Parts: sequence; C-alpha cells; structure tokens
Amino acid sequence: MEESHSLKHYPLNVRLKSLYIIWYRELLIYWRNRIKVFTSIFLPLLLIVFFGAGFKAIFPTNLLPYDFSQFFYPGILSLSTAVMAMSSTLSIVWDREFGFLREILVSPIPRSNIVLGKILGATTVASIQGGLLLLVAPYLSLELKLIDFIEIVIFLLIFNAGVSALGVFFASGIKKTESFSIFLQIVIAPMSFLSGAFFPLNNLPLWIKYLAHLNPFSYGADGLRWLVLSSSLKKEEILLFTLHPLNTSILFLIIFDIIIFALAIYRFKR
Amino acid sequence: MAIDNEILENGGQEIIEVIQVENLKKNYNGFKALKGVSFSVKKGEIFGFLGPNGAGKTTTINILSTLTLPTSGLVFVNGFNVVTRPDMVRRSIGLVFQETTLDTHLTAEENLFLHAYLYGVPKKEFNQRKREVLRLCELWDKRKWRVENFSGGMKRRLEISRALIHWPQILFLDEPTVGLDPQTRTKIWDYIFSARKHKETTIFLTTQYLNEAENCDRIAIIDNGEIVALDTPENLKKMVGGDIISFKTSDNELAENEFKEKFPQYKIKRIGKELKSEVENGDEFLPILVKAITPKIISIELRRPTLDDVFLEITGRKIRDDQTLATEEEKEESFNLADLFSLFPKKNKKDKI
Repeated sequence: MEESHSLKHYPLNVRLKSLYIIWYRELLIYWRNRIKVFTSIFLPLLLIVFFGAGFKAIFPTNLLPYDFSQFFYPGILSLSTAVMAMSSTLSIVWDREFGFLREILVSPIPRSNIVLGKILGATTVASIQGGLLLLVAPYLSLELKLIDFIEIVIFLLIFNAGVSALGVFFASGIKKTESFSIFLQIVIAPMSFLSGAFFPLNNLPLWIKYLAHLNPFSYGADGLRWLVLSSSLKKEEILLFTLHPLNTSILFLIIFDIIIFALAIYRFKR
Repeated sequence: MAIDNEILENGGQEIIEVIQVENLKKNYNGFKALKGVSFSVKKGEIFGFLGPNGAGKTTTINILSTLTLPTSGLVFVNGFNVVTRPDMVRRSIGLVFQETTLDTHLTAEENLFLHAYLYGVPKKEFNQRKREVLRLCELWDKRKWRVENFSGGMKRRLEISRALIHWPQILFLDEPTVGLDPQTRTKIWDYIFSARKHKETTIFLTTQYLNEAENCDRIAIIDNGEIVALDTPENLKKMVGGDIISFKTSDNELAENEFKEKFPQYKIKRIGKELKSEVENGDEFLPILVKAITPKIISIELRRPTLDDVFLEITGRKIRDDQTLATEEEKEESFNLADLFSLFPKKNKKDKI
C-alpha cells in the first residue's frame, strides 16, 4: 500500500479521536474474547503457584538468601505481560487478512495513528493484565504500597509499549495470521529464556550475558524486580539475582521505545 | 470533528463534475493497467464502469479512492486532487470493496460506530443516521448480531449502510452484487437508487453484469485499460444499429445466401449454429424474412440490442469471453462423461444398421 500524502493536513482533534477509536476497538476485541481474558490471568497464576512451589521445594530458603517465589513472581509478571502485548498485535495481521485494514486505510485518518492506536491498545491490554496479577502480591508476602502499585503500572506501560511496537514491526511484514503465530513462538521463546524470568542471568556464561543485554525482556524483568521487591527485600539481596539496575532498565526501555516506535511506523506505512 | 460542509463543498462552490479524470495512466512493474483514461462524472449521477476481469476497473477505483497512486494524469474527486489532498478526498467518499472489509468480531452496530467515528460523524447524529441506514438496508432488527453470523448478502448490505453513514458525496461500489443471489441483487439496486434519491449521492460502480449496467445513467466500457465507449445505455445500444434477429434453419448456408441476395442492405453473420442480423423495424421485418427464406426455420428470435451486443460490437468479443471463464469451460469439456458414453453405443448402433 502506498502512502501518498503528507501528514500536515490532519488537525489535532482528528488525530486524537482516530487514535482513541483504534485503541477502543482493540480493547473491545480483547474484551469480547473472554477465553483470552481468562487465560491471560489464569496461566501466569498457574506458573506462579505451581512452578514457583516446585522450585521453592528444590531451593529451600536456607540455601538461598531469598524466597524463590519472590524472585519468580516479578519475572513472570513481566514476561506474561510482554507475551500478551506482543501477541495482541496479531490483530494487525488479522485485519489485513480479513480485509478490515482496508476500511481503516481509506478512512480520513493518518496512517501513523493506525500503528500508534494498535500499540496503545496492546499496551493497555497487557498492563491491565499486569495490574490484575499484581493483586496476588500480598499472598506471596510481598508488601506493596499504593505508590509502588502506581510506579509498577507506569513501568509496565513503558515496557509493554516497546514490546507491542516490536510486535507491530514484525506484524507489518506478515500477511497470514498462521504464519504470524508461528513467527511469534520462534521469537518469544528465546527472548523469554534470556529474560531472567526463570533463572537469574548474572551467573551465566559471558556470551549469554551479552545476548541478555540486548534483550528488552531482561530489562523488563529486572526493572519489575526492583519495583516489586524494594519494600520487601534489601538492596544487596535484589542485586544477587538482577543483571541491570533500575535506572538502566528504565533508560534502556525508553530509548528502545523511541527507536522501535519509529521503526514500526516506518515499516507499516510502506 | 463535525464534517465541515464548507470545506467539503470546496469553498462553498457547488461542484457539478464530482469526478474528473484526465489522461490517467497506471503501470504496475511495466504492465500497463490503465493506458490514458479520461472521463468525468456529474453530481447525482449513477456512473457505471463495465468491463471484463482485469480490464482496469478496480485499479481505477483504487486510484479514485486514494489507495493507489496514479503513474500519470490528473484525478479530481469532489474538487480535490487525489495526490495532494487524499485526506479531503477520503472524507468525501464512501467505499464498498469487492471483498468484505467488516470487523467480524463486532456487531453490526459497532461496525457502524467505528466507521462513523473514523469519519467524524457527530455523536448526537450517529444514532439517528444509524437507524436511517440500517432501515434502508433492512438490517435494523439484526443490529445487535455479530457480523460473523451474517450471510454474504447481509454483509454486503451492512457494508453499503456503513459506507452511507457519513453521508458521502460519492459512493464507490466495486462489483457490489458479485456472488449474490438475484433477489439480493435487486434489493441492493433498490438501496443504491434510494441513496441517490435521498442524499443526491453520486454513485460510481464497476460491474461485469451487463443487465445491471443498464441501471446506470451513463456507462464507460473499459477494455484492456482503455475506455472504448462512454455514453448512456440507450445511446450505446443505438450504436449496435436496429433490432437483432437471430434464427436457425435446416440449411444455414442456403439461408445465408438467400438473405444476402434478398436483403443486401443488412449484414448477416454466422455465429455458431445461428444466423444473426441487425435490422431496422424488426417487428415488420420478421414476417417478410420468414416468407423470404426457403429452408425450414427451426427457431427465430427478435430482440432489442443489449449491452452485450454493444460490447461485442466494440471489442469483437463477448464480455464473458475472458480467460478465467474460458478455462472453466475447457475443464468442463474434458470431464464431460456424457460425451464419453455416447461414443461407444453410437458406433454399435451404426454397426447394427
């Protein structure tokens, strides 16, 4: 599809309203898909409860200076929201395959807003899921104040915006929903293993560490650990199982967001 | 974002020719899809683009609706250049594509809401317009249904009502009735007519059905990327000449020679097993012909010219003769069991005789 016009013609209110409606549609579709809503909460919970319990049994508290579920919980929180954000961008491929994309493309709204609306939608959906998962924190004997909660949600928004944009970037070149789901699995698996959600990255061989430094998921996981655990654990304890400090994580993710947004918009317009 | 009527009307000026196309060309990697097309469409007109598959109909619609850029030539829609002001063009038009572009996850109503919002229909007006367009296309009762449960005809109707909800100046319909049953087809034409009647909407449509094209005010016949004829259906039919007589006789060769001898003023053509001629005052000519021909007449038909005859006259072939259909026919022939069976018994019979 060729982009044939300059963007200066669109007044601000048209831009905002079109952004809103694309975002609204994403949420509507998410909400319609009740099974997806349910699994997006249920699966991470399953991981936290059973997987966490299993590993807790292998690494008793007297071996580790921290509780395994305290390590595990923020990691799964970041990972499941990231997977959610990325797979939500499937709707772009779906729209292309079943024609709805043409309806949006011929409407009088800027093309960049189609991308931004989709990213915003995926980010929102993922962050809602993250917010809901945060509600189980007290049951894992983690203290969260309201301010922590707000900080965490803001961090989730920053993190998932980048991940969604990455999803849109990939989705823009793919025409079939089936190929995109396969592609997602191939991309998500290595990114998840190297995110530090399942095991700490700081004791791994150097080459794996290098890879982890390039993986946005690892910054998401570590950033969340700092935010979720800061009231429950001491700084030295958190340092034991994180690769990146909090500030580095936030900085990396913001820079990543800017770059990947630009790339996603550029690629989609083409 | 209320649609600013002043801007839409291009500075308050009433536009008479809502579509102007001059020497439009489009190349796809060297393939010339459009080879210099020029035409204009007046406000309130139903303008038909008629041609076989691959003639350039959809390419033209895509350029007029800003989805594709022209290679060269000037295109104005509602007074706006499609290359420099696609945003204004998009606001002035409604589109119904060949394939559905509905969001099947959502209900009919929600599809309309999304569209109205994208086109800046004020919220207060939305409910009233929704009722209007859904009633027009007879979908009001099904407004809460999810589109995935709709039949093909219902989807097409919903698409037409969706395209009308922002009150476009021009409605583009790309083969609006393809794949629909005859009843639904007639209904859709009713909706098209009433849309024009109520809102003075200009309608630009493409079709390969000749009988449908006759509903248009004017028709452009397009073939191989060029407009080969452009006029009202009546005038186009006049091009063919008078009425058409086609007849079958027991000895076509003799009949043809007799016809040439007795009526040298008319041309006669042999098409398959039929003889075909264009005559003036067919009603009066028919009895004379029957008397003049000596071989036994098996069948005879007199009819007014149709657009099919026009197409045949201009391009030298029937509109249905495009390649896709030709291959279908070939397939049919190669799998014709009746022919296979008839081969052997016939031989046996002959042997017995």
